[in-house]
Amino acid sequence: MKILTPIKLTVDISQLKYESSGEPLMDIAPRKMGDSDKCAVEEAVRLKEKYNAHTVAVTIGSTSDHERIIRDAYAMGIDEGYIVEVNESENLNAITVGEIVKSMVEMTGPYDVVILGAGSLDTHSYTLGPIIAAKMNIPIIAGVDSLNYNEQYFEARCVMEEGTYLYRLKPPLVVTVTTEVNQPRIPTLKTILKSKKMEIKRLKIEDLKVKPEKIDLVNLTKYVIQRKNIIWDASKDLEKATESLFKLLVSEV
Amino acid sequence: MDFEFSEDEVRFRDSVKEFCKRYIEPRWVEIDEKGRIPVDLIKKMGEQGLFNIPISEEYSGMGGTITMAAIAAEEIAYHDPSVATAVYTLLNNGWPLLVERYSDEDVKKEILPKVAAGEAFYGIASTESYGGSDVAGIKTTAVKKNGVWILNGEKIYISGIREIQELPVGGGYFLVAKTGKPEYGHKNITAFNLIIKWNGKIRQGWKPTIFDEIGRRGISTGGFILENFEIEDKYRIGEENKGFYYLMEGFNVARILVAAATIGSGRWALDQAIEWIKTRRLFEGRPLASFQGVSFKLSELYGDLEAARLLTYRAAWLADKIYIEKNPKWKQKDLNIPVALCKMKAPEATTKIYEELMKWYGAYAYTKDCNAFRGWLGTFSYTIGAEGAQNIMRIIIARDLIGREYVKG
Repeated sequence: MKILTPIKLTVDISQLKYESSGEPLMDIAPRKMGDSDKCAVEEAVRLKEKYNAHTVAVTIGSTSDHERIIRDAYAMGIDEGYIVEVNESENLNAITVGEIVKSMVEMTGPYDVVILGAGSLDTHSYTLGPIIAAKMNIPIIAGVDSLNYNEQYFEARCVMEEGTYLYRLKPPLVVTVTTEVNQPRIPTLKTILKSKKMEIKRLKIEDLKVKPEKIDLVNLTKYVIQRKNIIWDASKDLEKATESLFKLLVSEV
Repeated sequence: MDFEFSEDEVRFRDSVKEFCKRYIEPRWVEIDEKGRIPVDLIKKMGEQGLFNIPISEEYSGMGGTITMAAIAAEEIAYHDPSVATAVYTLLNNGWPLLVERYSDEDVKKEILPKVAAGEAFYGIASTESYGGSDVAGIKTTAVKKNGVWILNGEKIYISGIREIQELPVGGGYFLVAKTGKPEYGHKNITAFNLIIKWNGKIRQGWKPTIFDEIGRRGISTGGFILENFEIEDKYRIGEENKGFYYLMEGFNVARILVAAATIGSGRWALDQAIEWIKTRRLFEGRPLASFQGVSFKLSELYGDLEAARLLTYRAAWLADKIYIEKNPKWKQKDLNIPVALCKMKAPEATTKIYEELMKWYGAYAYTKDCNAFRGWLGTFSYTIGAEGAQNIMRIIIARDLIGREYVKG
């Protein structure tokens, strides 16, 4: 079995700092492998350990942070890592990234399964998995909370609002996983030191014959909830203040 | 000059943080309250490779450095500010290094893998009731008869007494005992691997006791009496009558790691302080931080802690040059002042932070609902004397600065 895991470098939102205006300080924010991508790596490594699979990770970018997340994937157990180098200023959209992954598969594949995080920490568009599947013309199971393989087909459980779906699909396929699918292992010092010595293969976007697709961003509106700033003075009549608070809460539901 | 940690060190620190957030932080108060680090947590720490960090992979070590062991001690103490878990970790990183450096080949292969796996404890047994600082004055004796050493004496304020008894394999100590004429002072001390319990079996002649300590309660402290306790000669560490020098080498590493642990706890206390003085409002709604009496003090505390941190990692860097890289440019004596400085500064910087934090909290800090006292009492142990009394550090520094002939112990 051969598994490809595309991973994305994203902002570490747990370490995000903000201006007093509330704007996040993106320039100084630390970057890391996305949480659900890390779960995808863990899932790939578990399949490797159980079925002797060969695991490959790929990320797109050109910074030392991109190199670090490939090394982090190595430290978790991935066998082979690629960086697809692109110009730092190029803001790649999901369609272009899907095209890059498809070309990667053609160049280094075939792969039985492409496993990636369902949504990235920064954009949360949940589109990359379906785009990769569409471009490769193979099926997808999206938003997987539990994944099993029985040497013939993958069995995936997806918990949705209206119920739990159970899918069975034969490879090749794309699987996108949520952070519920597993608890990723934490690299040890030994695996960290070993990962430093492993080769990272580098490809240029031109090598993959991919031309970035242009998508015009027409509008981007932030979802903002304003604080109501209502203050009840409970020092004189606690009961009345509490009642007013509950009345407001009930009216908001 | 480069003040940055290497990429390996940064990634290792991140992995230790992640481990601590997942497995240690949720349990640290329980560890302190119940007075024990759960055996399952010790095993998990072993699986994560948090013991035997500076030991080579050949002996089941992690192939890391003393700096990395200090990073682990610092981060673990940040997430268990009582420092109990960090102290367990640092003991099982510093003292096994002497097993690797000076023990017989088969003894290394017997002891070190079990310590690495978190199945056995390996600590230090040097202090006696006659006074921990006067190592040359120890009274425990070891006499060789028919190739077997027979030990008699008493050790006190020793960590790991309960852990050795509870861990599946067991463990033991780097122990020093007199092996020659008393008038030879420190030149008649020999070091041993005192294996007390191995593969679940406790050896004859060991009578332990456990004390009820006020701080860092998660790791046990006690003492033991040795009554005709027998050790095969293969468990001797290095050459006969050179144990004092091996012990000093062990203290060099242990003191760096202790300093790192107290710094981790101090960082936690400082973070609690910053959060509190920003959010606590009084005198018409002013945050506590807006009073210069508070913010200036915070700056001083931060400065002292940061200075101690730089001293600690400088000492760790130098210890790596000497013990890990074996770089002939430096000698062990070059570590005297750097190690004594970090051990002198770090615990004191940290306990000062706790004292201010608790004053800023006010009466709340005097209740057990507030956990600051756990860090305060835990780190206070290292201003009292564990791993070398503070005045011994001052003697070491003064001796090197002024001359041994002017500074008596």
